[in-house]
Amino acid sequence: MAELATGSQVRSRSVGDLAVIYAGDYLNKLSGERIERECRRQLEMGCRALIINFRETELVNSIGVSILLGVIDAAESTGAQLIFAAVNHQTVQLFEMLGLTRHVALATDEEEALNTLTEFAATPKAAGH
Amino acid sequence: MPPKKPDKSGRERPILGRIAPEEFVGRTGALEQVLRLSSGAEHERGLLLLAAPSSGVSEFLRQAYDELFRQHGETIPVYFALSRNDKSAVGAARHFLQTFLLHTVAYRRRDPALSTAALSISDLMEMVAPGDYEWVERLVGAMERAHAGGQDAQALVRLCLSAPQRAAQSGTRTFVLLDGLELAGQLNGVEVPLETEIARALMHSGGPYVLAGLRRHLLAVAHSARNGNDFASALRLERLSDEDARAMVERTARRYEVTINDQTLDLIVQQTNGNPLFITSLLRAAREKTIALTSYRNCQQLYVDELMGGRIHRHFASILEEIAPSAAVRRSLVRVLYESAQNENGRAPVEIWRKRLNLEAAEFQSIVQQLHVHELASLNANFIEAGSDSLVWSDYLRARYRLEVAGESRALVVAETLSDTLKRAPQTMARHYRREAALGLRELLERFNCQRMPASLFHYDRFSRTHKGLEMDELTAALDAETDLVRLPQVVHAASCAAFYPAIQQVCDEERCAVAHGFDAGQYSDASEVVWLAAEIESKLETGRGLAEIWCDRLMQVARVCGFHRVRLWLVAPEGFTAEASDLLNEREAYGSSHRQLELLTERISAASAAMARQEVAPDEFEMVIPMGDDTELIAAHTVEQIARRISFQPEAINQIKTALIEACINATEHSLSPDRKIYQRFRVESDRLVVTVSSRGVVPPSLNSQNGESHNNGEAAESRERRGWGLKLIRSLMDEVEFERVDDGTRLRMTKYLRKG
Repeated sequence: MAELATGSQVRSRSVGDLAVIYAGDYLNKLSGERIERECRRQLEMGCRALIINFRETELVNSIGVSILLGVIDAAESTGAQLIFAAVNHQTVQLFEMLGLTRHVALATDEEEALNTLTEFAATPKAAGH
Repeated sequence: MPPKKPDKSGRERPILGRIAPEEFVGRTGALEQVLRLSSGAEHERGLLLLAAPSSGVSEFLRQAYDELFRQHGETIPVYFALSRNDKSAVGAARHFLQTFLLHTVAYRRRDPALSTAALSISDLMEMVAPGDYEWVERLVGAMERAHAGGQDAQALVRLCLSAPQRAAQSGTRTFVLLDGLELAGQLNGVEVPLETEIARALMHSGGPYVLAGLRRHLLAVAHSARNGNDFASALRLERLSDEDARAMVERTARRYEVTINDQTLDLIVQQTNGNPLFITSLLRAAREKTIALTSYRNCQQLYVDELMGGRIHRHFASILEEIAPSAAVRRSLVRVLYESAQNENGRAPVEIWRKRLNLEAAEFQSIVQQLHVHELASLNANFIEAGSDSLVWSDYLRARYRLEVAGESRALVVAETLSDTLKRAPQTMARHYRREAALGLRELLERFNCQRMPASLFHYDRFSRTHKGLEMDELTAALDAETDLVRLPQVVHAASCAAFYPAIQQVCDEERCAVAHGFDAGQYSDASEVVWLAAEIESKLETGRGLAEIWCDRLMQVARVCGFHRVRLWLVAPEGFTAEASDLLNEREAYGSSHRQLELLTERISAASAAMARQEVAPDEFEMVIPMGDDTELIAAHTVEQIARRISFQPEAINQIKTALIEACINATEHSLSPDRKIYQRFRVESDRLVVTVSSRGVVPPSLNSQNGESHNNGEAAESRERRGWGLKLIRSLMDEVEFERVDDGTRLRMTKYLRKG
């Protein structure tokens, strides 16, 4: 059952124990911090995987990128999966330039991201991990 | 009567001027500046005419008077020169009033001849125009009553000097040209500081005025007259250029019907340093003695006669007499002046001079001050520097010392002075020719302003290897293609090396060695401070290692003595340097250029300056100012997008430009502590590029100060998990050229993106 939350001015929806967070048209300090807060909120609520959808994002600045690093850290520390979806070409270049793509998976769109995470959830975990 | 009375040849006759206007050379611009004051259109009413000693300021003012008289505008010119004959402050003030009325009457009657007539105040009262009668009558009456009533000197002086103000109040606008203000000091009574009274009276007159006098004196007077506030603009009357001095000698010789040739003409110009007084004195003496100045011998004989007993002698003798009225003190003064000038730099503590002159403090102070004003010595804090730039003064002082102090016979002094000046003549001219041929290192260094120049222009070995022998267009292309560039410092002060280290003159001419203080990248910090020491070496062939080493050592010696910490040596030799010499220069991290390289460098610096000037008026340029914060960088980004589209940038490039601009705006917002919280942007469109300049006021981030924004962090940001400070790295990745330009306050980042078609 999907649910849509906009209370923190960041649109998001839950799909089971997954959450999709929608970034706005400009990812800067303010909008980045809102995304980060929403991601942390979702993780605290027991979310096992996060998708940040950049479909509407036209521009990202370096402060926004630095905040995304914080999100990556937070996801890692809780063992949650994180995928950036629908990132435009220029933003991908920016992420590559700043080394983000080494720490996060990219998906062409939200559907691909959801499929990836579903497949991941279905894969049995190795013992000890 | 008509105001203009040309002579038969149609030329204007001088009124107060000693020479016809067409004979007057070299002061056109200055004269125009003075004449403009009379129109009342100028912002300032007053002008301080700061004259070097005997630079012809009196004739300049007389020419100005004549021209104003001829133009016959609404402003009445009045020329008044203070004179030693006035004896007292009251006498001088009465003389001023008489001259003021005389020139007013002459102008009203349009009768130039009246300007120099010997008329008393009562004579003038009868000639005053009806419109002026009332204020003149009231002023003269008040003066007579004050005089009869035994009013104090200051009241009388003020009354006389109030003439321009009273005239102005009655609607008569006058333009007072006051000459020789330094003489007012000698006319001061106990209670009347005449110079200050004059300055104040003219300031309050309501009309335009010029205060002229010796430059070192005049500034002090103006300062005290207005309690330190500036009240007038300043015009400096410097020495005549060689070209103007040549013209002056030529015209004066023609006027006096003295035969002269090119060689002697040049010698006179060089020996007198273009001084109008000395030139006129020599040529008048030649006329009086009917001597043809067609040989060095005739020329120098006349010169020595002038030094020993002619007008030049009387000129210096009267100055010395004025400075030191007592013969015994004068003799001591000549001794101290001459002996001090013989020292290496002529500089000595004030106290040493006082002991040597054996004078009371007040008298000593007065003498030193006068020497300073007449520029026969320079008083600087607690030091006195004897000597002047004038060769004529040096010759006069030497002759006088030998006669008066050393007690040598006059015949011997005359004979040896003549021999010495004759022997010196070819050297004087040779020095002039060398100076003319000098490359102008100081002037070139002055133009250094953070330009980037091909490194090969500073390394003769590289230039020789890769560029020598190329055709001009090939050479230009090769230099344009060079990627190894030297960023020149921003030079803030350049002077002859001799000004720092006089001993250098023993081994080279003043013009051939220069010292320039500057800052690398135009950053005003200790770390960026640098001193360039440049010298021209004489050598017919490529300069060898030995000579290059001698010069490097010499310049390092200058650096040590002067306490220069971080230096750059630069040697320039006509044909460049041998391989061994180049190795030495490289070892010492010194630069070495040939004349050819220097020419190319000069051309490139000129071109860069011209380009900079063009940029200031570039038509395809957009400007924008945004407030910091509230995502205003998006407005800038959308603007640059529109501009970039106009010149057909590809969408990807447009996004890169937008991102870079956003980062630049964020940097400005985050780091500048900007006082106005604004970001100034310029977008310049060129045929193949877009240049975006982002500037803001405030502090410069420390990381930018030392390295033009080069980042320490070479690895990827996320690798080190450093979360901030990526802006500049991003900008460098996204744009083709990124450079911080020097600004006085804050930062200015220039980013260039080239257009790549297809």
